[in-house]
Amino acid sequence: MSEIDMSVIKPEMMKPYIWLQTSDGSIQQVEQEIAMFCPFICQEIIQKGAGSSKNCAICLPEKVTPAMLSLVLDYCRFHQVPGRSNKERKSHDERFIRMDTKRLCDLTSAADSLQLRPLVDLTSRTLARIIEGKSPEEIREIFHLPDDLTEEEKLEPLKNTTDDPRIRLLNRLYAKKRKELKERGRLKNAELEGEHVDERSVDELLSFINGNDEDSKGSKTSKSKKKNRRKKEQKKSSLLTEASKPKKELSGHSSVSDKIAGTSNNHTEDDTFSHKEFDDDDDGDVDDEIDPALQEKIDREVEDFARRLNSDWPERMQEFLSSGQERKSTLFASNGNGLLRRNI
Amino acid sequence: MGDFLDPDLISDLPQSIIETILIQLPIRDAVRTSILSRKWRYKWSTITQLVFDEKCYPTCNDRELVHKSVVEFITRLLFLHQGPIHKFHIVNASLASCPAINQWILFLSRNDIKDFNLELGEGDFFRMPSCFFGCEKLTRLELSRCELYPPASFKGFSCLKSLNLHQVLISPEAIESLISSCPLLESLSLSYFDCLALTVCAPNLKYLCLEGEFTEICLVDTPLLVELSVAMYMTDDVAEHMEQSSTCNFVKFLGGVPNLERLVGLIDFTKYLSIGNDLGHLAITYNYLETIEMYQVSFEDMKEILVVLRLITSSPNLKELHISGSSNISAGTYAAGMEFWEKECPSDSILSQLKLVKLTEMSGVPHEIEFIKFLLGCSPVLETMSIIPSMYDMECQLKMLVELMKFRRASSKAEVYFIRGD
Repeated sequence: MSEIDMSVIKPEMMKPYIWLQTSDGSIQQVEQEIAMFCPFICQEIIQKGAGSSKNCAICLPEKVTPAMLSLVLDYCRFHQVPGRSNKERKSHDERFIRMDTKRLCDLTSAADSLQLRPLVDLTSRTLARIIEGKSPEEIREIFHLPDDLTEEEKLEPLKNTTDDPRIRLLNRLYAKKRKELKERGRLKNAELEGEHVDERSVDELLSFINGNDEDSKGSKTSKSKKKNRRKKEQKKSSLLTEASKPKKELSGHSSVSDKIAGTSNNHTEDDTFSHKEFDDDDDGDVDDEIDPALQEKIDREVEDFARRLNSDWPERMQEFLSSGQERKSTLFASNGNGLLRRNI
Repeated sequence: MGDFLDPDLISDLPQSIIETILIQLPIRDAVRTSILSRKWRYKWSTITQLVFDEKCYPTCNDRELVHKSVVEFITRLLFLHQGPIHKFHIVNASLASCPAINQWILFLSRNDIKDFNLELGEGDFFRMPSCFFGCEKLTRLELSRCELYPPASFKGFSCLKSLNLHQVLISPEAIESLISSCPLLESLSLSYFDCLALTVCAPNLKYLCLEGEFTEICLVDTPLLVELSVAMYMTDDVAEHMEQSSTCNFVKFLGGVPNLERLVGLIDFTKYLSIGNDLGHLAITYNYLETIEMYQVSFEDMKEILVVLRLITSSPNLKELHISGSSNISAGTYAAGMEFWEKECPSDSILSQLKLVKLTEMSGVPHEIEFIKFLLGCSPVLETMSIIPSMYDMECQLKMLVELMKFRRASSKAEVYFIRGD
């Protein structure tokens, strides 16, 4: 029975100490109860069974230096005791948080990497209090921020940054697709109009030929065909609105990857939509075969593009930057001062 | 420009932490971080919580100027903002109803708004635009001084958990259908409503707060209700009209809330509950009811006293009781119906968990005295009873005290405080 098995199977025989390895390589022993207060460490112990001996010490994230670890453990040591009142906890926190700004920032980083949310909230609140009400110079002084905006930039109104090149490229692609869909839709409607007229005259002929008995049947079929057409037109308009949705969703969003995934899903839905539509159709348009194929092609193109963007964005960025002024000017057309680069 | 001796402390923290910090700053300070350095230029623009309160623009006497500046600030900010906006609060008394607000709401409805609060200053009520009803992800809504006209096709906010309407113009059918079409609704607060007959149908409702002039309130299907607070104004003609009806309001109102933990009734609530057929013996026991606060209880109206008694005796776990009286002190010292007390409060009834009792606005009428006698005699674990008289006349106070001294106390730990407001 290995040590790890024991600590998992028989909780009452759990080792009271676990081993943690900090960013500088040094290993220390910590009471298990206290360390378990950090979700990260908790996960490591439970999922990987690490930390039970010096050899398999839990490797803490890079931001957790020995000094930070000791601060975090102090925090945990106080708060993991269940009996304390809210007042006690609050006053402990007020005292605990009194430290210089550098330590505060480092502690925020360390707490965040250990996923210790209450401590992150506490430190962020304190940092916010430090920033609040101060002039930019004072804030720069406290956090050692470089004063690297030019005088003009400081006065310049902030730009709406939907000139993120990813978004613009995607917008162009979607615009192209939308145009094609619209055109096809227009063609389709034109054809339908034509057919509509034709059908009418055929029905009339039929009813004339077949007399009054067939009248009801004839009119029924024409009605159902009319319904079908209306349904189709409705579906078409919903297709168009679905296609136009992505643009609205994309403009002004920084969480592009989520949106890209979302909209490519949208377009696979469009596919099934169009397939259903064409199945219902008894008219048997010749165009039907081309439409889904073209759509699929464009869908694939878009998905491909999205995947490429998301996977190798840094490399692409290099490409864009190094490929010379010409390319830059087409992509970053309205942005004379190359502000975009700084966004990343 | 990188200063290697003094490295940047904060700009390289993960964006989630930067956002946590920026959210806790007043919005103006958050936006002003854009001028700190290159890296900070757009860090603020993705924050998901925007709160515009009194601090967002320095106040001055010219309300119109402040209004214009705030409108411009918010419009420009939204224009520069990127990404979803989960929380959007405007609580600013200088801001008046204006067309720009429609555009903001349209923008928010496209950006996954979840928590929306609109509280404008004095002036015309703002009419919520139809695009507002398309905010499908709304979980918390608070409106003040607005007009709400849901379109016929409106199916409700399927994610809404908390609804707070204060001085909102909305038709009775619309408010009822709004409540019942939000299946996840847990907290509902309606205040400053006029002449509303309300039926609340909300299976997940836990917290309910009503304040205003209601002609009738019915709780249908609110089994999970935990906290209830009702401040009900009843005009005289409404009261008369209700006397005619035969159904018992108490049962209608409090009949379906077995999980109730806290009940607060103000103004005419006790009177409202007392209307209708005689209570008889209540079939419901409120096993979780620990706090009862009833204000403006008239100890001259036997029916109101009965309501309070029924509540108390049906709550075996009652711990805290606050009763505030409203009797007319000029009534004579002799009151009819003293036999009532022997009948309704047999000497063997026990309030086994009652620890704290606070009685205010006590005018010393006989029924109040009997009530105190009952409480003292039936509460074996009582710790504190505070009595605050409503009259200043020393003689009256003394008379009351003399009476109180006679009473038997079931709890040896009971401390009775007679607090004179000098």
